Amino acid sequence: MSLFLRLMLAGLLIAPAAPPAPARAAQACSSPYLIDKTLPNGARWRLCWEMRTIEGLTVTKVVYTPKGNRPISVLRSAALAQIHVPYDSGEPRYHDIGSLGSAVVALTEADCPGGERAKGKVCLTTRPRGHAYLKDGWGDPDARESAQGQELVVLAAYQVGWYTYISEWVFGDDGSITPRVGATGSLAGTTTAPKHGWPIGVGRKHFEESHSHNVFWRMDFDIQGKTHDVVEQYDFSGSGTKKRSMTKRTLKRETKAVNGRMRWWRVVDPRVRNGDRHPVSWEINNSDSAEYRGPSDEAFTHADVYVTQYRACERLASENVSPRCRRSVDRYANGERVTDPVLWVNVGFHHVARDEDADPMPIHWQGFRITPRDVTATNPH
Amino acid sequence: MRRRLVIAAAGLGAVLVCGTLLLVTSGEAPQAAQGVRETPSQGDPLTPEEIARAGEIATAKNHLKSGQTELLYVERDDDKDAEQARRAEAYIYDYSTDTLIVRTVDLGSSKVIEETKGRGVQPPPSKREELRAAELLLADPKLGAGVRQSFRKAAGRELASPSDLALRGLIFSPERGRCAQHRCLRLFVRLPDGTFLDTSRIVIDLSAKRVHTLEW
Repeated sequence: MSLFLRLMLAGLLIAPAAPPAPARAAQACSSPYLIDKTLPNGARWRLCWEMRTIEGLTVTKVVYTPKGNRPISVLRSAALAQIHVPYDSGEPRYHDIGSLGSAVVALTEADCPGGERAKGKVCLTTRPRGHAYLKDGWGDPDARESAQGQELVVLAAYQVGWYTYISEWVFGDDGSITPRVGATGSLAGTTTAPKHGWPIGVGRKHFEESHSHNVFWRMDFDIQGKTHDVVEQYDFSGSGTKKRSMTKRTLKRETKAVNGRMRWWRVVDPRVRNGDRHPVSWEINNSDSAEYRGPSDEAFTHADVYVTQYRACERLASENVSPRCRRSVDRYANGERVTDPVLWVNVGFHHVARDEDADPMPIHWQGFRITPRDVTATNPH
Repeated sequence: MRRRLVIAAAGLGAVLVCGTLLLVTSGEAPQAAQGVRETPSQGDPLTPEEIARAGEIATAKNHLKSGQTELLYVERDDDKDAEQARRAEAYIYDYSTDTLIVRTVDLGSSKVIEETKGRGVQPPPSKREELRAAELLLADPKLGAGVRQSFRKAAGRELASPSDLALRGLIFSPERGRCAQHRCLRLFVRLPDGTFLDTSRIVIDLSAKRVHTLEW
């Protein structure tokens, strides 16, 4: 086969123009639960949202269409799976996912700048994300390439005790997804011994107790359907030497994985290829977790990423609500063969209060990134 | 003739809307009343009418002792292996045996198609349970007096009912002890001046109808 013909055939693997989304996806949900947004650079996101009683804001049937390409389904469903809040003196220890759907805060116009407040509870808006790229023209203004990026934001806020949590799902015009949670509202006001807290207020009387927010997300990846998806873990050995060598581990069975500074994971469907005949995948990275590890009866805190076989009743990372399933994610991950992976990401933030955290407490964020890896053969934007 | 038909159809619509409104139990206006559509898409959240209907179906043939079981809430069943069907999961708690019962209702056939039960599984408290926990807290001689006193100080008036308090409950489900099996919760209680009561050590056992204080 000639090189030309091969290139032609490779090109056919990705349709040149974005056709309308498949009819099945069109029936997935309807207004106001359907979000279909084409960002200024041509990247298109389609998804459904639901305010579930227990998990709160849940996004389902997330489909990404890079400019000039076919739609690629990414997530079947994704939601918060727990916010575990242990205080540094050992007690109290809260599991903040109560019924988030009933703790939702009504949003005002100011909470959702330039956006739409679906049902008054969920903000759908777009905002700038800074430089998409910048390539100097080396003196030639016509060769200079620079663009500002935009992102689609789907957010909801919950009042859980003194805390207000803002949960965001951010869909970038570069195909990235950033799930993150911000904690704001008020501090607990719990006083403790100096070794477990930080003095706030006047003098050294009130030591506000330090605590962790261990946020768990559950994500059911289905790249162009639930079949053939595989999770891989990548590591780079050679610390202390000049070289770095990549090793790949395919997670064929349910796994409890811990973070490494250079470690990342991807969900890949070997049968879905881009124009370069590389399999399409989504990478999990950049968690920046405090990596809280609790006592043995909180084994769900002992790993940062869990890979489990899909099971509808495995919904929360701890205090799971279904009699059909086990109670926590560490028990879901018990070595079963994985043919339809669900990923659970645990990102911890250790909050040592400071004077600036007086009411209203400035928001602090925690989250991670999901980025496309070989979804398109080149930068489509 | 055509006009008459249109009027008749509009009249029928109004009847349906009224019918829907009667079934609504939550505060949200039904979709039909908003004139958007009457049939939800497969992936849409449950409508208030579906929630009410699923709750009725799940508790109608209730062979459990009345008065001791309680419908907590209804959640859409989002199992992707059954996504062509429109299903709801009703969470029911049986206080007499401390058992959670989850009944899956097929909204198409209006039937319970699956039931699972378990002990020591505690989904989040319902609004009604939060209120009942506050009632138990107020009924406690010492702690109740403390709450009333704090409320008086914060609001400048007497506490008339538990609903005067802004409540939020979280399940307290330790591995050991009575609350490992009972339905226990901790309450966050916000007073009208924006302060919170220090309730972190207080556990309300809804199964035993008792309040106890944790030691640490």
